Amino acid sequence: MTPGEFRLRVRFGKTGRLRWLSHLEVVHALERLVRRAGLPCAITQGFHPHLKIAFGPALPVGTGGENEYFDVWLTRYTGAEEVLRTLREHAPDDLAPTAAGYVPDKLPSLTAALTIAEYDVELTGREIDHTQVQAALERTVSAREFTMVHKGKQKVFDLARAVPKDVRASDRGETTGVELAVRMGPEGSLRPDALIRAALAGAGLTPSVLRTTRRELFTEDPEGEWSRPL
Amino acid sequence: MTRADLWPLIEPLLDRIERPARYLDREWGARHAPDAEYRVALLYPDTYEIGQSNQAIGILYDLLGSLPGVAAERTYLPWKDLIGLMREHGVPLFTLESCAPVASFDLLGITLPYELSCSNILEALDLAGLPLHAADRDESHPLVVGGGPCAFNPEPVAVFFDAILLGEGEEAAAEIVAAHRTARAAGASRAEVLRALARIPGVYVPSLYEPVTRADGSFGGMRAIEGAPAVVEKRVVADLSAFRAPVEPVVPFMDVVHDRFAVEVLRGCTRGCRFCQAGMIYRPVRERSADEVVRDVLAGLACTGHAEASLTSLSSADHSRLEEILRRLRNRLEGTGTSISLPSLRVDAFSVAMARLIADGRKSGLTFAPEAGTQRLRDVINKNVTENDLLETVRLAFEAGWRRVKLYFMIGLPTETDDDVRGIGELVAEVLRVAREATPPSQRGGLKVGVSVSTFVPKSHTPFQWEPQLPAAEIARRQGVLRDAVPRKGVDLHWHDADVSFLEGVTARGGRELARVIERAWRDGARFDAWTEEFDLGIWLRALEAEGVDPASIANRERPLDEPLPWDHLSTGVSRRYLERERERAVAGATTPDCSFSGCTGCDACDELGVGIVLAGGERR
Repeated sequence: MTPGEFRLRVRFGKTGRLRWLSHLEVVHALERLVRRAGLPCAITQGFHPHLKIAFGPALPVGTGGENEYFDVWLTRYTGAEEVLRTLREHAPDDLAPTAAGYVPDKLPSLTAALTIAEYDVELTGREIDHTQVQAALERTVSAREFTMVHKGKQKVFDLARAVPKDVRASDRGETTGVELAVRMGPEGSLRPDALIRAALAGAGLTPSVLRTTRRELFTEDPEGEWSRPL
Repeated sequence: MTRADLWPLIEPLLDRIERPARYLDREWGARHAPDAEYRVALLYPDTYEIGQSNQAIGILYDLLGSLPGVAAERTYLPWKDLIGLMREHGVPLFTLESCAPVASFDLLGITLPYELSCSNILEALDLAGLPLHAADRDESHPLVVGGGPCAFNPEPVAVFFDAILLGEGEEAAAEIVAAHRTARAAGASRAEVLRALARIPGVYVPSLYEPVTRADGSFGGMRAIEGAPAVVEKRVVADLSAFRAPVEPVVPFMDVVHDRFAVEVLRGCTRGCRFCQAGMIYRPVRERSADEVVRDVLAGLACTGHAEASLTSLSSADHSRLEEILRRLRNRLEGTGTSISLPSLRVDAFSVAMARLIADGRKSGLTFAPEAGTQRLRDVINKNVTENDLLETVRLAFEAGWRRVKLYFMIGLPTETDDDVRGIGELVAEVLRVAREATPPSQRGGLKVGVSVSTFVPKSHTPFQWEPQLPAAEIARRQGVLRDAVPRKGVDLHWHDADVSFLEGVTARGGRELARVIERAWRDGARFDAWTEEFDLGIWLRALEAEGVDPASIANRERPLDEPLPWDHLSTGVSRRYLERERERAVAGATTPDCSFSGCTGCDACDELGVGIVLAGGERR
């Protein structure tokens, strides 16, 4: 705990066309947002002084997020509602903060604490029927083991652990929606669109993924209860 | 054309391309005016990350967007991956703000940043679905207006433009828009609109000029027709302070080439380096006051959230109140995690002292430009720097804790011999020796001298505009001499591609005949020629040959003083008499002082343009 510093947690969305930003671009944009808002930010000491700010797990280019988080350390206590209002005034609409609150400084980092992510994946494609999608996904998940190749590296996931909730496919008229939760950790994170593609390819279906959105990020307590970090 | 929103067609392409952040809009500071009745698209003819930092576009975006009833939107050339998909799916070039087809705008402004951007200009016009030639465009097409550094010899691209503005746009851009609106409201034809534009000082309408061919078939200059002025003189604003620097610019999401807030602290440079086109075409020097600079830096940092502000100009260390500005900014910014940078330093103790003022613990490297390796040659080019200046400056920098310097040189300068080239190596060796001496022995391992050697390309409107450019083979030989002469240990040596410099030289001083060559090269696939890995000289050589244009006679031939030049009808305000005199002084090795501080040297720009030098009231150090 750094005396005189207040750890503020901010919830924000990466929505609309800004889902096409990379994680680094989101990070830079939020740092600029915080400076623009004129918050009394703590500055790290050292060779390259910079804002004391920390981000949650990265989202890939093209994936939106409805409830994402960052922590910023302030040197002066300012009401969270007021900070939120100031942040919103200075934010691009598609990257706007939606909630803010102080959290104890001793909490683990967002990347360590946030271990569950809920996704919504929208599929399009002829002859794609949500019951087939549901069946294919259930088959894949029950097979327990899933191998994903990302950037030339092979990763093996134990799906009983990596997919901690029942997958649900539904008919949305023009599209098929898939709701899917994944567990994230230091061993790597399962990309939901990769799992869905593989599952459907196994069933002879080749949909296109129209949109992937991370709906929620949760912490998980020792009893297995999920909760929002703010 | 209808003003469609193309986003629904573009978004599905984004997961198939690199860096979609180039195409998103929605940045902080982007302005949307969907109901404006007059719409301007501003094109930088390269990718977003190159163009977004361009300060001229930033100024025009701010200024035109503030005019009643006018919307200004940005457009950049997409990278090759998206261009391919757009052509495949029939999506035309679009602006960022409204994602509307560029062809649906009233005016398309194109900046001419660099000679080798010419193929990208054609790519952009074609992708927009516009006829390439101004002569083929009609009332349904936007007015295509150019401007920027390469406007001063625009002939190679002139036929692709309806009009080209010479010089500064702060006043003229709004006049062009007003003239277009007035003429159109009166039902004027495109030809009438162009004649109206030609009446605006500084506006060059290429279709109102034609090349004169002499009896012997040689070029006899450009002749004005239909009452256009015989000579178009550049626009210049008397006082920069009348136009506040944009302090709410667009804040990009992606990493761009100059990712910081920039304030132009002064415009113009009168140091008089004889190779330097910028030093001639932006005269005279006009400084912003210290109060203005400090105010705008603080306001800009607050409005953008950038962590760094840059004090830009051709030579910011020349600002007469720089020290005061830096001290005030340091006091105001201490402990905020933000910093100030200077893009260019002079070779002197003052510059090192200024760099120390803003270093803030970070001493990544300092850059100096001695330009030539021997005193004789530095006198020829009027680079008023001595070897002693350089060594003392380097000593101070290393004593102050810097461990890296970067030095800029040129080869192929007029009168250069192999001794001058080897002189670069000797000077670098001396710099290394001094740097080592000034560095504690335990830290000498990390010591580095970067040496970047470009090829001299003679430019229009300079005292060297008549000089032959050395052929690429001779440049390659001299680069070999250079390689052998420059010490290896502790030195990073880079030099420019001689082929690129050759084409740059051809397009820098060519005439209207080059338009055919550019068009053919573009049709044969030339794109992004400013990107070294994309440049293909073969395409250009084949196009030159097919169009019967001899590049050597443009670039590698000494031009007699009485030969008409393709830019004689365009004036920077600097007199030909001055350029000729400076050329004579160059050959004689005589230097000329900086007129901003030691009396008029007779370039005639102030009298001709009706403006004067504006200093911020301090003393140049």
